[in-house]
Amino acid sequence: MRRLLALILLLQAFHLGVAEAKKRPLLQLVVTAPYVEMHSGPGRGFPVVHVVGRDETLTVLFSRTDWYKVRAPLGAVGWVRRDDLTLHTELPTGEPAPIPPYPEFATHRWEVGAGYGVYNRQNLVTAYADYSLTESLDAEAVVEQALGTLDNRIIATIGMRHTFIPEWKWFSPTAGIGGGYQHIVDKVPPAPLESNNEMAYASLGVRGFITRRFMWRADWRYYVVFNHLNVYEDLEEWKVGFAVFF
Amino acid sequence: MESRLCSVFLAAALLSGCSWFHRGDRKPAPVTVEEPQAEPTIVEPQVTRRVVKTPKVKARDFEIGAYFGAISIQDFGVNPLYGVRAAYHVTEDFFLEGFLARAKAGQSSLEEVFPDITVLSNSGRQFTYYDLDVGYNFLPGEVFLGRGRAFNTALYVVAGMGDVKFADQDQFALNFGVGTRILITDWLAMHLDVRDHVFESSLFGVDKNVHNVEGTLSLTTWF
Repeated sequence: MRRLLALILLLQAFHLGVAEAKKRPLLQLVVTAPYVEMHSGPGRGFPVVHVVGRDETLTVLFSRTDWYKVRAPLGAVGWVRRDDLTLHTELPTGEPAPIPPYPEFATHRWEVGAGYGVYNRQNLVTAYADYSLTESLDAEAVVEQALGTLDNRIIATIGMRHTFIPEWKWFSPTAGIGGGYQHIVDKVPPAPLESNNEMAYASLGVRGFITRRFMWRADWRYYVVFNHLNVYEDLEEWKVGFAVFF
Repeated sequence: MESRLCSVFLAAALLSGCSWFHRGDRKPAPVTVEEPQAEPTIVEPQVTRRVVKTPKVKARDFEIGAYFGAISIQDFGVNPLYGVRAAYHVTEDFFLEGFLARAKAGQSSLEEVFPDITVLSNSGRQFTYYDLDVGYNFLPGEVFLGRGRAFNTALYVVAGMGDVKFADQDQFALNFGVGTRILITDWLAMHLDVRDHVFESSLFGVDKNVHNVEGTLSLTTWF
């Protein structure tokens, strides 16, 4: 832990060095609206402390969530809302301001999320990453930890997921299949006869958009566990979670 | 002396003679007559095309850092805690955060009163947790240091779940808490947090929910 702490502090020091050393050219934008308001902080409640008028040039320093830290011509620094830059400024050449829009939910590429669930009547902590191959077909990788009274399990799966109606933004059904692996850590004797199993699953779920980059997901999975015990074993899993998409 | 002068002049005369002979060998420059072209050539532009590269705006939505503090492990006293944290700020209101930390439990009251009794082994005293949380900045604002300095702050609440490994066993744990963040510079922040980790334990014979409250101070960097 001490080594980790030292590493973090070292990284921070390195970050400082990099931040100071790198002087990248900054984006300059010309105001096209009668004025653009600059707030004292990156939030809707922070007071307006400065105003930049039409045809004046703003220097964009960096962004934080939906807010851009900018410098006015006379040196005043403040935060401008993303929409203000997109709609009310342009490049000095007259082209539209290159402020990236939010990714379209229907056509997003990456999803990273986490959630809570129940796996074989055990509490489940789950995290996943998902890559869209097409609008309706995704490849996903999931890592989960199931924590129960008799044993704990670590589950890792990869699979494909199909979204039936991707244009339904708020509520869209999904189905998937895949395979994986579970590792059982015994808590209460007797120990399980096999502590590592391969598994296959089929899943049904729903997903929906919340706001900006946020989305939600709920899934039900049915697992078939492959073992050498001559016993057919199947498991059920329910989970719900939040994700961020890019 | 005279003979030396003579030889110098002789050498000079020879050299000049050589050059004269050489001049005689040179052919006269050929006289070429350029034919007038049928059409005047189009003027080739000598201007190189300017490469316009619009600078990209750097997004600073990620936060990573380390923290230390004290955690009150129920029945095992208050103990020092060290950890790391990483967050992604999705909107001005919401963020997702992960924590990873470790502490070492002290003696329980039972062990203090009866020194012969050992409740936990040495490795069992390790208290390790990870958490996945959602946070909400519900009181953003500014604080002031003197007349000329203002720092952005936020009072936030976090809630989530994770795993606590204690007494050599992993337990599912819920956690919730409140914290305050002060941005010292654009890339450096300080946090003060109080969080409670709740999980079910039967270490002393009965099943009960144990509360493990921690108070920590963090230093994080944004990138």
